[in-house]
Amino acid sequence: MADLRKIRVTVNGEEHEAEIEPRLTLVDFLRGELGLTGTHVGCEHGVCGACTILWNGRSVRSCIMLAVQADGSELKTIEGVSSDGSLHPIQKAFIEEHGLQCGFCTPGFVMSVSELLEHSPDPSDDEIKDYLGGQICRCTGYQTIFGAVKSAARKVREAGESGAAGEGTD
Amino acid sequence: MSVKIPNSIGELPNSEPRFIGTEVERIEDPHLVTGRTEFIDNMVMPGMLHCAILRSPHAHARIVSIDTSAAEALPGVVAVLTRDDVLRWANPMTTIPEGWAGHCLATERVRFVGEPVVAVAAKNRYVAEDALELITVEYETLEANTDARKAADGSAPVLFEEKGTNTIFERVFTWGEVDAAFAAADRVVTESYRWHRLGANPLETFGCISQWDPIENALTCWGSFQSQYHFGLGRAGVLGLPTNKIRIISQPHGGSFGGKGGFRGPDIAALLSRKTGGRPVKWIEDRMEYLAGGAGQAWDRHYDLSLALRGDGTITGLSVKLLDDLGASAEAWGAVSAAKPLAAFTGNYAIPVARYDLTIVATNKLPGSPYRGMGPPPQNWALEQTVDFAARELGMDPAEIRRRNYIPRDAFPYTIASGNEYDSGDYDAALDAVLEMSNYNDLRAEQERARAEGRLVGIGLVNTIEPGVFDWNAYAIVGQPGTGVPEGATIVVDPFGKITCKVGFSLEGQGQYTVAAQLLADWFKVGMEDVRVVALDSVAAPPHFGPGGSRLGVALTGAILGACQILTEKMLKVASGLLQTPLEACEFYDGVFRIKGMPEACVTLADIAGCMFAGSHLLPEDVDPNPEATYVWTAPGRTPADEEGRAKSYLTAANACHLVLVEVDAETGMVEIKGYWIADDCGTRLNPANVEGMTQGGVAQGVGAALLEEYVYDDDGQLLTSTFMDYLLPTIYEVPMTEKRALCTPSPFTPLGAKGAGEGSMHTTPAAVVCAINDAIAHLGVRALEMPAAPRRVWTLLQEAKS
Repeated sequence: MADLRKIRVTVNGEEHEAEIEPRLTLVDFLRGELGLTGTHVGCEHGVCGACTILWNGRSVRSCIMLAVQADGSELKTIEGVSSDGSLHPIQKAFIEEHGLQCGFCTPGFVMSVSELLEHSPDPSDDEIKDYLGGQICRCTGYQTIFGAVKSAARKVREAGESGAAGEGTD
Repeated sequence: MSVKIPNSIGELPNSEPRFIGTEVERIEDPHLVTGRTEFIDNMVMPGMLHCAILRSPHAHARIVSIDTSAAEALPGVVAVLTRDDVLRWANPMTTIPEGWAGHCLATERVRFVGEPVVAVAAKNRYVAEDALELITVEYETLEANTDARKAADGSAPVLFEEKGTNTIFERVFTWGEVDAAFAAADRVVTESYRWHRLGANPLETFGCISQWDPIENALTCWGSFQSQYHFGLGRAGVLGLPTNKIRIISQPHGGSFGGKGGFRGPDIAALLSRKTGGRPVKWIEDRMEYLAGGAGQAWDRHYDLSLALRGDGTITGLSVKLLDDLGASAEAWGAVSAAKPLAAFTGNYAIPVARYDLTIVATNKLPGSPYRGMGPPPQNWALEQTVDFAARELGMDPAEIRRRNYIPRDAFPYTIASGNEYDSGDYDAALDAVLEMSNYNDLRAEQERARAEGRLVGIGLVNTIEPGVFDWNAYAIVGQPGTGVPEGATIVVDPFGKITCKVGFSLEGQGQYTVAAQLLADWFKVGMEDVRVVALDSVAAPPHFGPGGSRLGVALTGAILGACQILTEKMLKVASGLLQTPLEACEFYDGVFRIKGMPEACVTLADIAGCMFAGSHLLPEDVDPNPEATYVWTAPGRTPADEEGRAKSYLTAANACHLVLVEVDAETGMVEIKGYWIADDCGTRLNPANVEGMTQGGVAQGVGAALLEEYVYDDDGQLLTSTFMDYLLPTIYEVPMTEKRALCTPSPFTPLGAKGAGEGSMHTTPAAVVCAINDAIAHLGVRALEMPAAPRRVWTLLQEAKS
């Protein structure tokens, strides 16, 4: 077993310090050490996108990052999107548009979409496809997910315009 | 008490049903979108160990020796499980057909790459995998058997020496005077097809936690089990436990599509738990394990298919010869997939006679598992291509030849040649709908223009039947007889009028908890938020099977409505006393128990449940204080299979017609789907959004089957597609947005007239996409006859056409 390394990360606004093995993947750290099990593991080789989180605001595959690589960074997981039982507009849109079935891939989609809408509040169809192209959903066939992203963008814009973006839209 | 289940929504005791039959938001979703659903890998238990499995690197080899001493000495390793333990504690795996598998760990020989050989339980998965690297297994490699044709003709090495053959099953089923039909035919159209292995690949792999109780010699398993009760029965047989000492707890699944599970992992974890004196052992299959050794491979098939036709396009006979490569054993239920086509053998067509020449063989590949559709999709693909080839030979339009052969709308219920009965349908209506939606004639004109420009544009038009509500009798031919698949639900009303529905299955993605809430809210005229659906374990739940065979929506509706009826009749007796009115003058309607003709004279659910809770003096003598009822539904009228395998098996026959427009890139062979239209008829839609989701999701998997997905083994039996970078799943770039139209011919036989609707597009899309490809390249004189029609295959055909 290799020596332990100390890392310090901010996850969903909360600071954590941990001593971990260098080989520990970021997703195993989040799920196993911090108990943030909303981030799911689908392939462990960076293809399916189920483990997508935000790393300093950018979407990354947490299954092919090591936890030590996240030292000093700010992470956001699905638990940081809505924490008190209320739903973020993206989450509401997924429910209303039936953009999920088994829901295993959904947290990854939500994280990816949140990055998209941060950069592009009124995304074109091509931009949406570009952001979703790296997320695999085996259930829905994407049509309703596409609709959910359109709807989410509308909701986030409207919330922004009315000055009541709500928790988690930052 | 006789229970009559309503056959239409209008028969519910509610003047204004608000939920059932309408698109409502799913009650499952808030937990899912927030990442709070308790999938198996989220569960942690005190003292829990983690299992990793050492797998065979060889397709076929004798195990000479196993040395686990270094692994056992590694700090953090608690137990190592080998063939010695397995031979001491476990029986060979149960199989269909019987007797075609070894143990959960290989004992004397390995038969496929990825077969479990040794397992380790350690303090975490990292250490468990470290330990695997310290295990030495000496193999004596054997020649691999990877060619189904050689397996069938006896020239390949035999996998199970005691069997002396690789032929697992071999029989010809003849339904009617098939030879006479072919002899009398004006034309016989024959073609050979090859459908390669593909599989379910739910985003969540399989996982479980097994815990042995060394005091009682009992086992508890938590996991993503699709049919927990049946799974438990199998574990009893394999692990040598009494059936009532096994408790299976099904956790929510991250998808299944038939490809969840496999019995080895839970058995291995159970035996490791036993070896550690009862510590819980978690086993989570990783994706590469799933691809090489999980329940993810299905349908490795060679077809020869012939149609007998009259000159006017009437199909008078069908002959299907299938060589099914099941892989290294019959442990994973894959053989059932070769039996299910009997439920819809002749598709939408009134073909009077048919033959099924079926051979199932063993090879050194992963044992085949079920996958969405469970077997008919490849046959539909071969049948529909052949219908198109026949149409071309006869100079008929694909729509015309299909219409000529449809079972007429007034012929239902209709018994097909292979014995199943279709309940209802209007195939012309579905065809008309897609022709109209797609502006078919315009598409043909567009195709002509494109062809004149040298572009390869094609149209695929396909209709299929989706057999729904499976019955065991459908699988009788491969050794799984039986009639009836009981599904139960228990309904409880509490003293505050809140309702709980207890079922024996967990979430899988289809939205059945929502359907349960819709039904109960409309029966009792309450809000959906007043209903809670909970899953009970295999011991506590009423008899159940759970999802599978496009059955649960219909079966659950039957169970819930039956329980509702029993409970309201019981409560009505209490109401009669409270209202001081004879029973026959009372009724339950619009959410209250009331005097007929005096709706304002009523008592509520809460009133009666409250009497049962704390008002026994108000109860009639023959009513016990239990505001709860259970009903167990099974499909009516199922018949045992006859000697030729014929039975009334699947209760419902949904139908769909798909029309696809594709363009094949003449330079690269790449296929682009440019338009997709669907008319789908699954009777009454309990939640139309659920059905649309199933339809579109099936399109995605069908596109994967048609264009992308293939497990490739080399001649030595090495799997070449062991990651998602090689086994390609469809993304938003490949899956078309579809235009859909819902049609409805209710089933006369089912609760609320609903039909099974979970698999439909998987039956249809692979055939439709490839019909379109063949339409695009027909004038070049080549045919796409191998799945998937990936660019390399289509490109090769285009080169053949040039030369």
